[in-house]
Amino acid sequence: MSYIDLKSAPKREDRLKACIAHGSTICEMAGAKGKKSCLQNDGDRSFTQGSICLLLPALAMLNTLPDNVVLVHSAIGCGSCTHSQNANVRFGSSVRQGKVKDGVWLSTAMNEVDVISGGEEKLEQAIIEADRRYKPFSITVVAACVPGIIGDDIDGVIQRIQPEVNARLLPVHCEGFKTKIWATAYDAVYHGIGRTLLREGEQAATGDGLSPFKGLERLPNTVNLMNVSSMGRVDELELERLLKTLGLDVNIFPVFTHPDSMVKATQAALSISTCPTHDDYFLSYLEERFGVPALIRHMPIGIENTGLWLRDVAARFGFEEQAEQIIAREEQELNDALAIFRPLFEGKKVFISAGEFRALATARLLEELGFQVAGIRSFHHDEFAEVEYQKLANSSTEDYVIDIANVQPFEEANLLKKLKPDLFLGHANGNGTAAKLGIPTHVIYHTALSYIGYKGVYEIARRLHRQLKNPIYNRKLSDNVRLPYRDEWYGASPFAYINTQGGTAA
Amino acid sequence: MSDNFIERARYTCAQGGAAATVTALPGGIPILHSPSGCAGNFAWTQNGGSGLQVGGYCGTLAIPSTSIQERDVVFGGDERLREQVESTIKVMDGRIYAVLTSCVSEVIGDDIKSIVADFRGQGVPIIGAETAGFKGNSYKGYDLVLQSLFSDFLEQGVAKKKKRVNLWGVVPSFDPFWRGNLEEVRRLLEALGLEVNSFFLDVDTIEGIRQSASASLNIVISHSYGLEAAGVFEAVHGTPYVSLPLPVGASATESFLRAVGKKAGVRSTQTEAVIKSEKKRYYHYLEPLTDCFNDLDLQRYAVVVGDSNYAVALTKFLADDLGWLPELAVCTDPLQIHEQDRLQEQLKHLESRYPVKLVFESDGSQVIHHLREKWPSAGSGRYQNVFGPAFVIGSSLDRELALEIGAPHLSVSFPVANRAILDRGYTGFRGGLRLIEDLIGAIVAGR
Repeated sequence: MSYIDLKSAPKREDRLKACIAHGSTICEMAGAKGKKSCLQNDGDRSFTQGSICLLLPALAMLNTLPDNVVLVHSAIGCGSCTHSQNANVRFGSSVRQGKVKDGVWLSTAMNEVDVISGGEEKLEQAIIEADRRYKPFSITVVAACVPGIIGDDIDGVIQRIQPEVNARLLPVHCEGFKTKIWATAYDAVYHGIGRTLLREGEQAATGDGLSPFKGLERLPNTVNLMNVSSMGRVDELELERLLKTLGLDVNIFPVFTHPDSMVKATQAALSISTCPTHDDYFLSYLEERFGVPALIRHMPIGIENTGLWLRDVAARFGFEEQAEQIIAREEQELNDALAIFRPLFEGKKVFISAGEFRALATARLLEELGFQVAGIRSFHHDEFAEVEYQKLANSSTEDYVIDIANVQPFEEANLLKKLKPDLFLGHANGNGTAAKLGIPTHVIYHTALSYIGYKGVYEIARRLHRQLKNPIYNRKLSDNVRLPYRDEWYGASPFAYINTQGGTAA
Repeated sequence: MSDNFIERARYTCAQGGAAATVTALPGGIPILHSPSGCAGNFAWTQNGGSGLQVGGYCGTLAIPSTSIQERDVVFGGDERLREQVESTIKVMDGRIYAVLTSCVSEVIGDDIKSIVADFRGQGVPIIGAETAGFKGNSYKGYDLVLQSLFSDFLEQGVAKKKKRVNLWGVVPSFDPFWRGNLEEVRRLLEALGLEVNSFFLDVDTIEGIRQSASASLNIVISHSYGLEAAGVFEAVHGTPYVSLPLPVGASATESFLRAVGKKAGVRSTQTEAVIKSEKKRYYHYLEPLTDCFNDLDLQRYAVVVGDSNYAVALTKFLADDLGWLPELAVCTDPLQIHEQDRLQEQLKHLESRYPVKLVFESDGSQVIHHLREKWPSAGSGRYQNVFGPAFVIGSSLDRELALEIGAPHLSVSFPVANRAILDRGYTGFRGGLRLIEDLIGAIVAGR
């Protein structure tokens, strides 16, 4: 029995031994020493700050699906994050489909009565009414904490009600209290897609291996390019450009993909991930059930990583030589173009904060631009990233701090006061601490900006150059506002509140 | 309106409103007794809906949270909460701490009251509120925090001061214009000679809040938000309250000042003098708009979509000050019948006597159907009395409606994704001028 046969995807702390509370260094993370405790027994914090849960990245994906209604089953607040994510839906549908469109998201708004007497009946009625009112192709029924804690069986509801509605119903389990690793979101969404939209076509292995979804042909030159919303259209276009130079057709999956056409993913000759944190769960499924092999190494952020990523793809098709030519040409052109920016970057210290793979790949990119890495905060850690830590350990002359933390700005504030970097790159809603300390900042992820491939390197360089040419906004801000931490905190160890088995790791 | 779901809810849950409210207090530190994701959900909500303002001194992902997990659900989260409050006091520099419970911590039945009381007993400035998301929306959370603040934080038994008042009724972040709206009303009250505590402005202090039971009148500029808290205040501290509609523009503010002046014991000559001077300024600035207002034919039909405060206040301003034709007003809040009646009552007594239809509808996509009902299809042929020229004032989610009826649009009520709002407000005389600028600015943007 594989994971997909379970009602919901397993949490990543179980499946991948992923962890979120560890203070370490690049050398330690790159070697085996000292890491065991983190991977097998995650620490915890006796002081924690709020963060996100898997519901947020899950909704970021689901809201992009055309002709789909997102129905969140929980109290009224769960999913209100969509107000921000809707900007990506509007912009994304405008650049992809030529029309600005708001996402359609609903809440069953469970109240005190529902909590006591159960919300299944309300959910049934909500599904029926949503089906009639919006006539969507699919309804993704997303369970958040409340049904999880009172024991509503959304899979049972879906099974009962599916025959009564036209829309395809996809269950997506996002009970936030059940996993501290929000990357479980990707598994949860993929799980719903796999179990519902790609299930009935499952076929047994034939003589020449597994076949695509029933009746469909294998497309020998088509590759799946996985995008769980970590790339905007501009980044998709950059990777499409590179893959097309190799003569490949690109099927982007799953954001902004009509649920009816998702079966196409089973026809591809290869699935290419841009980030193991996102895709390992689903790519294993596509491989096991539909015979689509997968590439899941290297994030194409930075010059070296983009080359490694492209070489891997080319090798699968026997296009090694073309790849070398393309890479040589691209790197030459890019390096020439970067020359005017480099003097401003040389030797400047940078602190990077993001999801693990993105943080590490971006760190490598910044080194390539001439920056010196002063520290990295990865939102979680799992085994996929080991090779990335090794890349960075090899390229750095000095050891530096690695903070494994699901954000936790207090640790960051402490570290930044000590390290005094010249630049900070952080995720959405994650640059405020550095900005209030007067450090120049830049957002490490935004779907309207370019980050990926060779173009991404250039555009990041261009933006950082712009930021560093006049960083006065943050400086003035820091002269006039203060962070909410006590002075004593800055004197303590940044990891003073991390407890590991056997005591405090400080 | 559906009985089974709410479409694109224009608020978040009680805990989200509560957290924004605590963040807005001077030195306020929320402590969420929640799974880890609640704080992030609120941060992204404000990011997308609060006019580009997120957090404050201690907001967004800086907010302390117990981040309870499955094991706490099984074994209870009391110990984790104690540990978190203790460590929060050591790390976070606050003037007031507030423990806010969530769906998960309330279902598992953690005893936050005694934990909060223990810390308070040790001299920690801390309150607690039961703000589970299933208790209601962000407006409810605002009210719950105020209730705790009033009953557990304010000094009791302080002597009343005659000209001292407290002011509330707009919800931080969930009225994207909350700061500007409070500031202008405060300015006008001060012009009446009153001493004002408004809890959430930069001029407010935690000591002023602690002493706020000395007020002889509480002024709630809402018919919906903060009213239960006003009842608690009266019961605990004996200060009566007056609930008045959010005063937007000259006419509403004039009535507001008279009503407050009367209740607060301001001499009517003083009230009239303030009104006179404010109106003089207002019309002094409005006067030169007259030519363009007429030459460009700037009168509009309008659809107003908003929360309980704005749906009525904006409609009244359009009808009674600007001379526009607000055919349809839509209140997107879930309200009790008696609350709905209070709002209906407001629009029955418009000075212009313009017949506005006020409906209660949570789902933006249904507004067009209400409009078609109010203004049926104009028929066919050469001569059609269409609904136009029209204007849509609502949230950024009402751009779809504006597009459909071919009208310009202004986002005022939450969510406001497409405007940056710092100290702008629409209350009072000055707010009325701002609103005219913004409405007409949207019409003539392509000029």
